[in-house]
Amino acid sequence: MTSSGTPLVAVVTGAASGIGRACGEAMRQAGWRTAGIDLNASGTDLSLRADVSDPAAVAAAVEQVTDSFGQIDLLVTAAGYYEEGIDVTDITIQQWDRMLSVILGGTVNCCAAVLPHMLSRGTGTIVAISSELALAGSATDLHYVAAKGAVLGFIKSLAMEVAQTAIRVNAVAPGPTDTPLLAQDSLWRKPDYLATLPLGRLVKPEEIAAAVYYLATEGSAYCGEVLSPNAGAVI
Amino acid sequence: MAGQADSGGRDKQRGVALVTGAAQGVGRATALRLAADGFSVAVNDIADDGRITELAEQIGGLAVPADIADPGSGPAMVEAIASTLGPVHVLVANAAAMAMSPFLEADPDQWWRQIDVNLSGHFRVIQAVIPAMRAMGHGRIVIISSGWGVIGHPNATAYAASKAGLIALTKGLGRELGPHGILTNAIAPSFIDTEQLRVDADDAGISLDEMRQRYRELIPVRQLASPDDIAAAAAFLAGPGSSGVIGQVLQPSGGVTRTRA
Repeated sequence: MTSSGTPLVAVVTGAASGIGRACGEAMRQAGWRTAGIDLNASGTDLSLRADVSDPAAVAAAVEQVTDSFGQIDLLVTAAGYYEEGIDVTDITIQQWDRMLSVILGGTVNCCAAVLPHMLSRGTGTIVAISSELALAGSATDLHYVAAKGAVLGFIKSLAMEVAQTAIRVNAVAPGPTDTPLLAQDSLWRKPDYLATLPLGRLVKPEEIAAAVYYLATEGSAYCGEVLSPNAGAVI
Repeated sequence: MAGQADSGGRDKQRGVALVTGAAQGVGRATALRLAADGFSVAVNDIADDGRITELAEQIGGLAVPADIADPGSGPAMVEAIASTLGPVHVLVANAAAMAMSPFLEADPDQWWRQIDVNLSGHFRVIQAVIPAMRAMGHGRIVIISSGWGVIGHPNATAYAASKAGLIALTKGLGRELGPHGILTNAIAPSFIDTEQLRVDADDAGISLDEMRQRYRELIPVRQLASPDDIAAAAAFLAGPGSSGVIGQVLQPSGGVTRTRA
């Protein structure tokens, strides 16, 4: 809540499942109004169905949020998908383009739609969900890792661009997280892999949401930060 | 929700925290925050000139003055806390010595003093808190490093080396203690609006406001962090919201790792 008692407003992409859903739930629980942008319906206060890789669809969705709630205090870009087990030479140009357009393009489209609104109010917080894989690289999912790495470059630069306003732009880079994005037979679910993690387990979506919540509520001193709750996968 | 300042109340059900270097600045702000979050807080500084006793009284905690560079002091301090408040669940390793000088003019005694307090002192305090944390299967170690330990700073080589050493310590302990349920992370602040600014201003022969302005010019967000910003980061790392965070270095520094464009 703001000091005037008006609930704060969060826009969360990918809000129908996994990390996005956990972020929406955490913000709602803290008294925020939430709008979800997802291909599927989400359990947010304002569920909007749109493909984040479509700039016009994102712009229209964001307009609906400002029409309904009058303000946007937080943008969380969690929309994405994952493909693993593909050697680099087998990644098709279609797979590459689609991954880049959803993960990098989706993040850019959402920031571009929300930023003018935040700039006009002079305040706001953007938290992009990247990946721990972008910090240290990974085999057999190179298009995903490249897209998540590009998100970090984008976010750090955007953070610098708006640094002199009260708008704060940061990233959260989750470790392997227990969401539907990880197939049941995923490499990252195998006991042999989990045993290599200092925490010995997957990260929970709620733990990613807690990091987002912290940056959204007490993160005014961060500018281009990459906070990585990753169970020790990348230290 | 995790980490809110008012979540704990006064019943101290969240366990015992020890904050070193708590007489002023970041340490004091962190002690106040952790107490507000529901911890019983033991507050350390090199000597008690009244400030940590007063702080301990204010927050219902315990003052444990000790020079952590003294090899026996860490274990003795932790033992005193255990017998009074109980075993330490959260350590905030914040105490630090700093002396600025050009590298070639660095006094070896000052070099070692900074290493002895900042790095070796906390080595001993951490060794002392680990057995109880392991027995409980839970613990949080929050190490206050410095942005200068990440990016360096002219005329602060010993300080930067000690703070970079703490980052390596954080990563090593993160890996070594993680399997025992003990999470170790670090915070690397840069320019903070604390009493140290007065020292910096006096050293530079300028006013406090001129010093603030000089530092602001170096920071992309053009704002010094407040002690409360760093305390909030420590509270996050001490609280339930960071249960998946291990071996990380948080930098609430306004983007200062990059020189200004």
